[in-house]
Amino acid sequence: MKPTRSDRRALAAFMAPAVVLILLFFVIPVLYVAVVSLLKWNGITSPEFNALRNFSLLFKDKAFTRSIINNLIWALVAGGIQVPLAMLMAIILSRKPRGWKFFRTVYFFPQVISGIALAALWRSIYNADTGLLNGLLRAMGMGELACDWLGGLETAFPAVLIYWVFYVGYYMVIMMADITTIDSSYYDAATIDGATDFQQAIYITIPLIKNTSLLTCVTLASVLGLRQFEQVYMLTNGQPANTTSTIVLYLYKKLQDANYGMASASAAVLIVVGAIFIICIRRLFRERSAKISGLDTKGVL
Amino acid sequence: MMGSGIRSKTAKARLINFFRWILIIFFAAYTLFPLLWLVISSFKTNYEFLAESPFSLPQVWQVENYVKALEVAGLGRMLFNSVVVGLSATLINVAIASMSGYCISRFNFRGREKMFLLFTIGILVPLNALMVPYFVIINKLGLYNTYGGLILLYCAIGIPMSTVIIRGLMDSIPMEIEEAAYIDGCGFYGRFFHVCLPLARTGIVTAATFQFLTCWNEFVFANLIVSSEKLRTIQVGIRYFTNQFSTDYVSMYAAIVISIVPSILGYVIFQEQIISGLTSGAVKG
Repeated sequence: MKPTRSDRRALAAFMAPAVVLILLFFVIPVLYVAVVSLLKWNGITSPEFNALRNFSLLFKDKAFTRSIINNLIWALVAGGIQVPLAMLMAIILSRKPRGWKFFRTVYFFPQVISGIALAALWRSIYNADTGLLNGLLRAMGMGELACDWLGGLETAFPAVLIYWVFYVGYYMVIMMADITTIDSSYYDAATIDGATDFQQAIYITIPLIKNTSLLTCVTLASVLGLRQFEQVYMLTNGQPANTTSTIVLYLYKKLQDANYGMASASAAVLIVVGAIFIICIRRLFRERSAKISGLDTKGVL
Repeated sequence: MMGSGIRSKTAKARLINFFRWILIIFFAAYTLFPLLWLVISSFKTNYEFLAESPFSLPQVWQVENYVKALEVAGLGRMLFNSVVVGLSATLINVAIASMSGYCISRFNFRGREKMFLLFTIGILVPLNALMVPYFVIINKLGLYNTYGGLILLYCAIGIPMSTVIIRGLMDSIPMEIEEAAYIDGCGFYGRFFHVCLPLARTGIVTAATFQFLTCWNEFVFANLIVSSEKLRTIQVGIRYFTNQFSTDYVSMYAAIVISIVPSILGYVIFQEQIISGLTSGAVKG
């Protein structure tokens, strides 16, 4: 509908609150980060222009480079292992095996429990003396494998990373919703032609969700992987020796030290890396899909 | 169509079916086992917990662990704070997002799609990276360490998602209904309150459910802009009471269980809304 003259004023009034909030909490903060990342500032005394020195300091800081590497690993594991697992389960459950609704509900549990509560749970599980993991290992006669999972230099990061890879419910639900919209006649035709379930998944389901929900999930998973904070904050606080640190944890610690310039510089790096990830993922999906299937490649994101 | 896999008699199909169930059960057990262990442990005595095998049942179910968790950790107060902040932020958020969703869905004004794009980009911005500006803005507004600060921030960060969800639903309301109301002399506000809002009810409930869950589970900003013990939300509380109960494991587990139960209950009740909010937001976002 074209707004009439009198509508226009009402329209402006109706849009105003949302627009103000978006400006105040999205647009201005991003610009703020960009500006402050160039300053030397503790939030109290007057800021000094520092050009790109914050960034050169950042990349010289081993704690930061380790954080970036951890985040990249995290994003890759999320996009490359967690999402494919979720896709596998989405394909299986969308065929509606017995009890599929129950399983869908259960798989989704970790998504509604807060990250901090899950981390508290896993901190208890990994506990060297009283944890479930070591308890199970001892009960199965593999006590020599028991160790201080979160305290060891070698084990801490894998332990922090792995527990959450098998929580596939979030992505699975998104992909299941997409799979159920696929016209069943495709499958009927394939069944008549003698295609197995496996072939149907490879040649029908996956190509059809690739540019919609699969793309969405890989993007979301990578972006969430880059944002990790609660898990590491709660489980290890970046210890031992910064081996489990992430960019956001690094940022948080800089903010605690009132080093606004460095905190903003690391935030800027995070935003830029996130944007690069999103662009790369979209490129990757589009090119491959254009070559393979020639489907409508209009991405959703 | 599933039938071909399940009922077919070939060995290969049986094998595939077997692996299918292995996977289904593995993922379910992976989610449920730790939770089950947590709940069982939370009813044990500390001695039982330390001395016996992880899945043995307690001799006597120790309800006092829960009493202790509530009293010592002050969980009641934290739950109250979470409810106040979550409900207020959700109400304001949904009211604002309904208004903007209505405008974007029903009117062709200049820059409409650009504005909507800005909203959708908002969903992908790594909000954790904005900790510094959020901290400064909330301080500048004089809202540091207040309910108001948390409510404003939660309300704001949920606007993109809620607008996308509500716009999506309003788009599905036929324009003819609104045109008819217009011809009958129904103005801008009348069409909003009497036509669009009632018809978009499901979308609004979905957005509200999703928003509340986000507020309830939020930790980073609650930890950042609230410092006093009296205003702590339950998520920030978890961080503190896990240290407080350092050796009283069973009470700590009881406290974790108490913090998880509302989420699980809410999820079971509002499952459809949460899932549809997630999928509509995610597939479009």
